Amino acid sequence: MRAYFRKYLPAAAIAALGLSLLVVSVLALALTANVSTAVAQTNPPPEPGISNETCLGCHGAPDQTITLPSGEVVYMSVDPEVYNSSIHGELGYACVQCHTDITGYPHPALDAKTHRELTVSMYKACGRCHSGMYEQTQDSVHAQARNNGNLNAAVCSDCHGAHDIRPFSEKPRSAVPQTCERCHSQIYETYKTSVHGSALLGEGNPDVPDCTSCHGVHNLQGPIDPNFHLKSPQICAKCHTDEKLMAKYGLSTDVLDTYLADFHGTTVMFESEIPGQETNKPVCVDCHGVHDMQKTDDPNSIKQNLLVTCQKCHPDATPNFSGAWLGHYKPSPKNYPIIYYIQLFYLIFIPGLLGFMAVIVVSDAGRRIINRRKEKKHE
Amino acid sequence: MSEMTAQPAPDEISPVEKPPEAAGEQSRQVYQRWLTADRIEHWTFITSFTILAITGLVQKFASSPLSQWIVRALGGIENTRLIHHVSAVVMLLCVIYHIGELGYKLYVRRSRPQMLPAWKDVTNAIHALGYNLGFRKNPPQQGRYGYEEKMEYWAVVWGTVVMAISGFMMWNPIATTQWLPGEAIPAAKTAHGWEAVLAVLAIILWHFYHVLVRTFNRSMFTGNLTEEEMLHEHPLELADIKAGVAQRPTTLQERRKRARIFFPVYSVIAAILLVGVYYFVAYEETAIATIPPAETVEVFVPLPPTPLPTPVPTKTTIPGGLASWDAGVGDLFNTRCVICHNNTGKIGGLDLSTYETALAGGKSGPGVVPGDAANSQVVIIQSAGGHPGQLSQDELQQITDWINNGAPQR
Repeated sequence: MRAYFRKYLPAAAIAALGLSLLVVSVLALALTANVSTAVAQTNPPPEPGISNETCLGCHGAPDQTITLPSGEVVYMSVDPEVYNSSIHGELGYACVQCHTDITGYPHPALDAKTHRELTVSMYKACGRCHSGMYEQTQDSVHAQARNNGNLNAAVCSDCHGAHDIRPFSEKPRSAVPQTCERCHSQIYETYKTSVHGSALLGEGNPDVPDCTSCHGVHNLQGPIDPNFHLKSPQICAKCHTDEKLMAKYGLSTDVLDTYLADFHGTTVMFESEIPGQETNKPVCVDCHGVHDMQKTDDPNSIKQNLLVTCQKCHPDATPNFSGAWLGHYKPSPKNYPIIYYIQLFYLIFIPGLLGFMAVIVVSDAGRRIINRRKEKKHE
Repeated sequence: MSEMTAQPAPDEISPVEKPPEAAGEQSRQVYQRWLTADRIEHWTFITSFTILAITGLVQKFASSPLSQWIVRALGGIENTRLIHHVSAVVMLLCVIYHIGELGYKLYVRRSRPQMLPAWKDVTNAIHALGYNLGFRKNPPQQGRYGYEEKMEYWAVVWGTVVMAISGFMMWNPIATTQWLPGEAIPAAKTAHGWEAVLAVLAIILWHFYHVLVRTFNRSMFTGNLTEEEMLHEHPLELADIKAGVAQRPTTLQERRKRARIFFPVYSVIAAILLVGVYYFVAYEETAIATIPPAETVEVFVPLPPTPLPTPVPTKTTIPGGLASWDAGVGDLFNTRCVICHNNTGKIGGLDLSTYETALAGGKSGPGVVPGDAANSQVVIIQSAGGHPGQLSQDELQQITDWINNGAPQR
């Protein structure tokens, strides 16, 4: 027995030690994994090989340019101060952790023929660490456009910057529309004048939506996707059914319910279940406007121009016709009394009539059961 | 709906078989209650009613998962509405047929309008309730149409009128609002929806109880009732049949004469009603087929790019000139070259950090050949241009001069 122990004890000890090490390292991994999620990073970066000083030896000089086959002159310079004050510089990441193709000098030849191709080619580098967000961008309208050959569609660095990258969380909300403006300046100009845009950009009001509130962040959606239009009432409803938020501005939270109860809303709700369904029924933005939406009491708003709004889809509509829209009101004795009283009539009439029928039906059934028992007794 | 049919002609309610003669034998006598045409009418009406109820109620209770499942199964909401509209037209055609049938029976055959409600129906209902609750010994004795059937029939008439009017208003809202305020359209929708709920519940509770649960009434399948059923359900009618007074006597000649008036008149009425149905369906084009884009905007309108900085000519870093390695050349190499060509990195095997290693050079040959700049790799490589850490023309010239001067170390 003792010999047996002597023989196997060291092996058992090593196994126990190994097992505990494994447990500890798994725990440690799990903990670090949690930490890295917190800094928006899902995978560890590749090992730094070459120091930043080596790269900046050349690229730190302000006049480093190359000429691409397209004839565009591209700066290859990086201002060390700018990089060091970026979030990646601050955390001590090395140039080559993003520029992984650089392992020495001479550098491999560039495949990119244009400046845009060069920018887009760096897109995948972000995905190495930020794989979660990178995956999300694959479903975005930008990725769709790029897959259809439109290289202008934004990649990570178009919004976040490259060597000067700082988290959006540090920036004011207005930075979001101003970032989108870089490519979508026409929409930005419209948004700026809308009830939402003027509040955010003019007053710094944080209650209103910026671009990403409606379109999403990394998995950005837009009207390219037909479902986006049909599902958009739910986007508006996120804020417009929020009692606390709407109370602040004296706005009704019945807007979604009243829309869904209406012919238009009911139809759209059904259609939004079917991918790719086209419709001729309006959602919120078809009447209220998209990027230019105004308060309903604005002189240019739909309330003042309701018939014109109706006529967009109902060309033969007459002034009375627009009265068929209940203006998001629930029928009450004050608003739309006819509808209210028709409802009330049926809410009394239906139980009343059915109740009368039920009395006769139940008593008749009871009488029949009693009669049948009596007949059996007689037999 | 079974009650919608007026009284059949006398020859149709007379016994189908000869009365049984043998005493004590259970009567196998049957009485025709519905003509084949009545039954076809009823089943057509049932079909359209059921389809209308399903395709309509899913719209009234749109948020229910069952509704959404049904709409999906029917191929979407537009399909569901199309089915609803087609069924509505079928029901309207039933109504037009029914009006003709009524006219024929009442005018040509001189049948008694036995479906008309009377005070007796109210007392019959009270009587029936009293009997059910044990206050009366016998149930009420009723004729061809009992109070239950009259209630059902007039409920259907009322319901059909409400549904047709409110349905027309929803189907043709622009035409309607030429006469009525806009509120009439959602009001019609409210009435249409609740009336549907009422109709379906009444059919299930009232009609199904009376024809399926209380007794399983086969007459809408076979057309006939047995003598026993007649005795229980329609004793007064049975008595009239046996007495031969169920139908007012008319001669064939009289009937032919009246038919010659009836059919042209009904044709005109039916034609007008059919035109009405056509208008019902095709009166107006309410909305355009595809909604215009909510906003038309150029998506990609980039701001003008920030111009690249104009390259600033690199200044000569050593203002005092490059007299010797110690007096400037070493410093120039240190700041511009040694980042790669150092003691540890030795890219290309070259280390430019000391005078000695600079002379030794790297893989391509000696870096500096004193007195012979043309064969010094530093000059050769830098002259070719494009090297990282490219020296300016001025710097390169001074390095060349220094080498040609014998590349002094001090």
